[in-house]
Amino acid sequence: MNLTLTLQSLISGIMMGAVYALLGIGFSLTWGVMRVINVSHATFGLLSAFVSYSLFKTFGIDPIASLVLTLPAMFGLGCIIYWLLINPITRAKAVIVSSMILTFGIAIILENLILLMWGADPRLLTTSYTNKVYVIGPLYFQYPRLLGFVMALVGVSAVQFFLKRTLTGKAVRAAWQQPEASQLCGINLKKISMITFGVAIACSGAGGVGMAMLYSFEPHSHNLWLIYLFLVVIVGGVGNILGAAAGGMIIGIITGLSMAFMPYQWVNLLTFGLLMVILVIRPQGLFQSEV
Amino acid sequence: MAHGNDRSGFYRVKLILVGIIFVLGVYPWLAPPVYFISFAFNVLTYITLATSWNIIGGYTGYLSFGHVAFFGIGAYATAVLGARLDLGPALVILASLPAGVVSALVAVVIGYPCLRLRGPYFAVITLCFAFVTELTVRNLDFLGGADGLWIKGLAMPIETSRSIFFELMLVLTVVCLSSAHWIETSRFGAGLRAIREDEEVAQTMAINTPKLKIMAFAVSAFFPGVAGGIYACYLTYIHPDIVFDVNISILIVLMALFGGGASWVGPLVGATLLTFVNEGLSTFVKAEFARIIYGCLFIIVIIFMPNGIVEFLKNLIVKRRLRTKFVKNKSSQLLS
Repeated sequence: MNLTLTLQSLISGIMMGAVYALLGIGFSLTWGVMRVINVSHATFGLLSAFVSYSLFKTFGIDPIASLVLTLPAMFGLGCIIYWLLINPITRAKAVIVSSMILTFGIAIILENLILLMWGADPRLLTTSYTNKVYVIGPLYFQYPRLLGFVMALVGVSAVQFFLKRTLTGKAVRAAWQQPEASQLCGINLKKISMITFGVAIACSGAGGVGMAMLYSFEPHSHNLWLIYLFLVVIVGGVGNILGAAAGGMIIGIITGLSMAFMPYQWVNLLTFGLLMVILVIRPQGLFQSEV
Repeated sequence: MAHGNDRSGFYRVKLILVGIIFVLGVYPWLAPPVYFISFAFNVLTYITLATSWNIIGGYTGYLSFGHVAFFGIGAYATAVLGARLDLGPALVILASLPAGVVSALVAVVIGYPCLRLRGPYFAVITLCFAFVTELTVRNLDFLGGADGLWIKGLAMPIETSRSIFFELMLVLTVVCLSSAHWIETSRFGAGLRAIREDEEVAQTMAINTPKLKIMAFAVSAFFPGVAGGIYACYLTYIHPDIVFDVNISILIVLMALFGGGASWVGPLVGATLLTFVNEGLSTFVKAEFARIIYGCLFIIVIIFMPNGIVEFLKNLIVKRRLRTKFVKNKSSQLLS
């Protein structure tokens, strides 16, 4: 095995993994806090990727800068979706399963809206710095991957800060641990759930832009992203933000290495097989679940 | 309601069903246009798929999002068996039966570890299983890879061959529906319902839940396998994109849930209605709009009729009946 190649794919794996983690924390949050498996999470990320693509193409706004616009928009969208669609089913007997089917419907609608608006062609976010590379010794650091990595670091730490240090974040955690008791303490469960959902969708928006900088994307890409989401969250443990971050890194490293040393068509097979094996052996995740 | 009355009602329903089956059996020999035979064939295929999905998804409460894998396995097993044993065009269809058995065996092997997972985990792992099977088939050269496989077609006019396949699918559908009905009324079905309601309690009641679950999974994989075999012979060409299409998985789930998962009537009604809707939509509007409407259906089903359209309508009728009864009583009271 070539040492430089291994190191190189390890580094790019970590950088990809950080973006997976950014995409995954929101998914983990809704699953853990609200018992809602948002299958359309990746589709929201894809939507924000397409929006920032259009903003870049028509107005020349840099994808990172356009996050200032897209993140609040995604937050608002998440709140609206929660209020209209998720809230009515939170009292159902099997919230998890019904939420899966419901959000499946949302995913189908969003995917086809994207298809109608942007067409089925694969897109690539080609900015002025896409091909720029830092060279340190024999190793290459591609600029967009570095940016995605930094973005993911900032995003994950922001969500972690929000959950651990702010009052609203503490309320979110309280609502997860003791729904009834937290209401007794004056926490408005509906409002907290809405904020959680909004934050989750905003995270998916940021993650989607990150993914768009790494890969080409098309209206169907969210299916593959969804599998990565499940992998990240199940490896990291449901509801565990730092676990999801670590899970993202692990998955990134595995895909990075397998992309370097395996024929391309087997990489996805390995990913899906890995998810099946992990689900069978340790469905509660590799790390201790905690809020 | 008196017992005798109930029974006569049951016989009436049975008589109507036999009549419908008879009419359907005669239907292709009335020489309708080929399009209508193909359409009826599709309806029957989806009824079979949704009904067999319902055995694991509806009765047992284990939502399998990868049922299309069994359909595809059946199709490929039939094609490979036919090619390996060098069966003639007429005999290839018979290979769909062992293909169904292959599907059921795969279900047993997969189900043994997977059925220990519950709720969302089971849904995810079955979805993954469907992707894994598709990718494996796509990358194996002796299965035709990305080029697909050809199957020898029947050397006769298209109307006749389509009619034959229609009749075969009709037989399969009837067998599938009656098995579903039998399961529903049997001890086996009662055990499955117990698992759906509360698996721990079922276990303490000495129900052998792992065995029952695997049996249910195998039965619900057998019928899609056979259907896949018939479908492969009907198309004479199979490709991973066609027989492993994830949309079929999703459609099956939607059909069964739309109709209602508690009884065999639900998937029957759901599949029939949605295939008609699908056909209507795909001829009159753009495919994207059709799929958007599908997505809306998912949401409507979950929010407004979580028990399916059959239960929803039944409740409506019961409510109306109660209301008229109440109003009548009140008016008669007023009169007296």
